[in-house]
Amino acid sequence: MVAGGAGYGIAAATEDDHSGSAAAEQWAFYGSHQAGIATPAQDKLAFAAFDVTSSAVDDLQAMLGAWAAAASRMTAGLPVGSVETLPQSPPVDTGEALGLPPASLTITVGFGPTLFDDRFGLESRRPAALADLPALPGDALDPTRSGGDLCVQACSNDPQVAFHVIRNFARIGRGTAVMRWSQLGFGRTSTTSTTQATPRNLMGFKDGTNNIKSEDSAAMDRFVWVGDETDQPWMRGGSYLVSRRIRMLIESWDADYLADQQNVFGRAKDTGAPLNGTQEFDKVNLTAKTASGELVIPAEAHIRLASPDSHGGQKILRRGYSYTDGNDPTTGQLDAGLFFIAFQKDPRKQFVPIQQLLGRRDALNEYIKHVGSGVFAVPPGVSAVGDWFGKSLFR
Amino acid sequence: MPARPRRTRGWVGLSRTRAAAATSVTGALTLVAVAGCGSSSSGTTPAASTGASASSDSRTVDVVITSDGCAPAQTSYTSGPLTFKVSNKDATGVSEIELLSGERILGEKENLAPGFSGSFALALSAGDYTLYCPGASTEKTGLKVTGGTVTKAPTTTSALLAQGTKDYAQYVNTQVALMIENTQPLVDAIQKNDLTAAQAAYGKARPYYERIEPVAESFTSGKDNLDSDIDARADDVPAAEWTGYHRIEKGLFQDKSTAGLQAYATGLLANLKKLQSLTKDLTYQPAELANGAVGLLDEASKTKITGEEERYSHIDVLDLQANVEGSEQAFAALKPGLTNIDPTLTDTIATRFAAVDTLLDKYRSAAAIGGFELFTSLSKADTTAIAQAIQAVSEPLSQVAGKVVNS
Repeated sequence: MVAGGAGYGIAAATEDDHSGSAAAEQWAFYGSHQAGIATPAQDKLAFAAFDVTSSAVDDLQAMLGAWAAAASRMTAGLPVGSVETLPQSPPVDTGEALGLPPASLTITVGFGPTLFDDRFGLESRRPAALADLPALPGDALDPTRSGGDLCVQACSNDPQVAFHVIRNFARIGRGTAVMRWSQLGFGRTSTTSTTQATPRNLMGFKDGTNNIKSEDSAAMDRFVWVGDETDQPWMRGGSYLVSRRIRMLIESWDADYLADQQNVFGRAKDTGAPLNGTQEFDKVNLTAKTASGELVIPAEAHIRLASPDSHGGQKILRRGYSYTDGNDPTTGQLDAGLFFIAFQKDPRKQFVPIQQLLGRRDALNEYIKHVGSGVFAVPPGVSAVGDWFGKSLFR
Repeated sequence: MPARPRRTRGWVGLSRTRAAAATSVTGALTLVAVAGCGSSSSGTTPAASTGASASSDSRTVDVVITSDGCAPAQTSYTSGPLTFKVSNKDATGVSEIELLSGERILGEKENLAPGFSGSFALALSAGDYTLYCPGASTEKTGLKVTGGTVTKAPTTTSALLAQGTKDYAQYVNTQVALMIENTQPLVDAIQKNDLTAAQAAYGKARPYYERIEPVAESFTSGKDNLDSDIDARADDVPAAEWTGYHRIEKGLFQDKSTAGLQAYATGLLANLKKLQSLTKDLTYQPAELANGAVGLLDEASKTKITGEEERYSHIDVLDLQANVEGSEQAFAALKPGLTNIDPTLTDTIATRFAAVDTLLDKYRSAAAIGGFELFTSLSKADTTAIAQAIQAVSEPLSQVAGKVVNS
């Protein structure tokens, strides 16, 4: 992997990397952008939203500082603090990641709209782009799986390494913040680098073939990174994260016939090719018609309605994960689907209009339900030791 | 309730026979809080700059924590009041600094992530001290104080902690006496087959045991398995051996009858008296109180907040409040000594205990058996809020044993 020109870089794999495996790969924590956005999507996700319970801004700052210190260590494969403490004191690190390589761990922290209420004196610092998401067509949101003052996205190729982050962040935050909801993702559904193959979602389709690739720095600057256009200088170099817990009605989907499944997506199930082509990366042709004059990619197909061509060229960087949380106690059906994560410059111009169209018309709506939602301002990267998540927000 | 198979940590975690560690205090060392504001430790704040600027004031000890260690600006200071101004420059694995005399913690500052600074103040007599920043390459750096002895001789930390353990022993004895006193009406009502009176008396009898549970739990081996005899739940022991409060609870609240409970009632009272004879002369170590305090909060957040403890009467909130109160009492006994060691930690714990108390007060209900709303009336949001408030105490409280063990 190469660092590229972005504000992150891969640190040299540890010198004593005996295995030489990808698991030992390590991303630099400090940089102009937070890692976990442009870095290639890892295989596993542990995500959590927190609510701040302390009303003291000092507590919030101390926690964000302690999180940054802990993140700098965990992303380097180090425990957050001593495990060998005095016999009468609890270990500082919880220990389950001891000896495990970071496996490309990235830790990304964001601030929800509610952090900018009257508790911490941050009302005037709220970016206009961090607007509450409006009610969207087809929403079936559970408030206990939505919102939050803060979010933490931990991604790694080792699920235990990712979980270790959320657990230790929650512990560091005890008395200052509580976990509002959390989500594990067991497999990436997005490709964010040209080096990666497109994975399949739980519907069995290759999804996100035309995702923004981080190597395309012009697209990253145009669609993902906050620039000088922001009303809040502290957000320059940051991005906005939208999360949606999208439950798939898998049992219904599995009973749908192949041609319909393919028409719902607009792609062939096995190759991932658009219905107008034969290979996955063939250009999507939204105007192609059959001999009988019908659209090859149907009017309500997911790839048509999600296409930049349907949204004045707008795109989002998708970085979602498949999830399952056992089965639904009411129906016995699998509680599984997509934990959608997208990064963008301004959700008001990107995710929201895209989802407004999809929520109204997408053929996929018959098989999915949006049950959780969040929007978070992801501040720029932690520049160096001594800096911390969102430090410039509090100046 | 008796935890199975793993015992709740508590007084059993440390040998009760071990001699008090470091009870003697060297004549050269005394410690006072600097006059002025009540606390001798400031809050932690983001540092204006990454490093502390060197202070020309000879009463200030500037310390910059780096990943290498935590050396003071000078190696020697004169005796008297000293303010330690500490900033963490770049040590991501270090979050606190302690000033030690031997192994004893005299003062400390926590929550010092890189980019943060704070201070604590002490009056030091001449002697050799150590600055300790666990997690740095060099964790310990010497600091010499020359001159005389600080004239004001306060009560030493170890004496304050020792007094605290005596106060706590008194508290335990009082609770055991009250438990017997308040269980007698339960026994009487059962003997008279008065179900309503027995149900009310059950609620009045319950909190005492829950306040001092770790003490009773230490009598679990051999024939003195008192915790089980007094407080076992239905599935903790073979049905034929089930006795105590919860066996009576089942009769009163599920079977709604006093029939067959007479033997359990008299047996319970006899066991409580046995407990009294075993506990009346107990002495405790400060770290045992600290561990017991955490153990009580574990009890609260493990079985009370789930409604498992009082599954027939549903008076779990009463038990939970009693666990918290007992934990808070153990902490209160340590507080005078702990304040000398770590005023910030002490304040944090006290503040968070107060938050739990305020939260639990919302559920008081004079009309209900036991004086609190029944567990069955609590929503998931209620139990979550209570559990989170208790966890917020447990985390800093778990630091206390390590702070007091060598004091």
